[in-house]
Amino acid sequence: MNATLVLAFWRQRLASPIRLVILSLMVLLPPALVSAIRGLSITSLGDAIPLAMVLAVGMIGQDVSSGVLQLILARPVRRSEYVLSRWLAVALGASAVSLLQIGIFWGLSAARGAAPGFDTVAQFALGRELQIFGVAATMAFLSTLIGGVGDLALYALIMILGGIVGMIGQVRHSSVLTWIGQEMGAFVSPKIEVAQLVAGTPSWFTLATYASNLTLALVLAILILNRKELSYASG
Amino acid sequence: MPPAEARGGTRRLPRWLLIIAGALLVARIATGIQEHRNPPQLAELVRWETSAAGLARAQSSGLPLLYDFSAEWCGPCRLMQREVFADRRSAETINALFVPVRLVDTQRETGRNDPDVQMLQQRYHIEAFPTLVIVPPDGSEPTVIEGYPGKARLVEQLTAAGVKARLQRGGIR
Repeated sequence: MNATLVLAFWRQRLASPIRLVILSLMVLLPPALVSAIRGLSITSLGDAIPLAMVLAVGMIGQDVSSGVLQLILARPVRRSEYVLSRWLAVALGASAVSLLQIGIFWGLSAARGAAPGFDTVAQFALGRELQIFGVAATMAFLSTLIGGVGDLALYALIMILGGIVGMIGQVRHSSVLTWIGQEMGAFVSPKIEVAQLVAGTPSWFTLATYASNLTLALVLAILILNRKELSYASG
Repeated sequence: MPPAEARGGTRRLPRWLLIIAGALLVARIATGIQEHRNPPQLAELVRWETSAAGLARAQSSGLPLLYDFSAEWCGPCRLMQREVFADRRSAETINALFVPVRLVDTQRETGRNDPDVQMLQQRYHIEAFPTLVIVPPDGSEPTVIEGYPGKARLVEQLTAAGVKARLQRGGIR
């Protein structure tokens, strides 16, 4: 891991006004709405994937398209180090934003006298953290496949295809198609049910699938980047 | 620190990551086979009540009743339990919008049913499992969901029915 690359990535992302506006809205609006409606719980804040996406989209592809990657790799930096630093930068950045959003929700709920318990908040926050680290790895892989922000289109394509294949599998009672749909879904929407871990009844397959997808995505991202020939004339 | 070239080139793949990824892939296949043969018993996160207690709470709270008619031998019921009732988010939606009551058919195992289960099965003409019946507090027509349409579709149907019932009794507070 390379701290300089991580910091440079954060600086680059925070220099984008559009990203800052979207992130600010995502951090402030959902907690304000959810805490204002009685009967809604912290889980109504939703998944952390959209938060992670704001930072993750184009995490490597934009560097390839803009020629920045050639400049970075002209220095003695391993390509694997670059990929892992990008992944960590996205995951840590999105984690901080997610925790900030949860903190604001908790503060607003406490002000209304309806703050959720520590266990509830901790489980929700942990589930989101795991989701962020997982989806950041998926996006690192997709971002090595296509330039610019094309990784977002690839992500959407896999998600839609996975949904369609899974639905066909259920309608036709095909366990193979259902399984393919579930695997595609697990790849784009990694998720660990923390409540099941706390209850002592985890699905080991779900845990292994999560960890395996995460590491495979990183390995594939490094392999693909290793095979890329970058030159100033290539783009 | 020596430059990357001196440490084995800039394109070297971290061995530790390869080993971990390989080990996890093996673990994934092994646990997949294991759990396909013996599906794990996940903790249910929906707070099921008995029919009597559920009816009392529905009357006092004004929330609609959600009857889950199921059976031990029913495969889709187990799948629905695993995917929906053991999922924190879906379970919280159900707990917030309904008074959930589970009614397990024991006809096949014991030759008879609990009188409450039998009476409710007849009242709602239950012919297949799983069947979910949403009974609004104002006594209007119940919503019946027969079979398991998949997690996303089911949660969507339940949320729509729950919100509709809540709006009917005086809006979301």
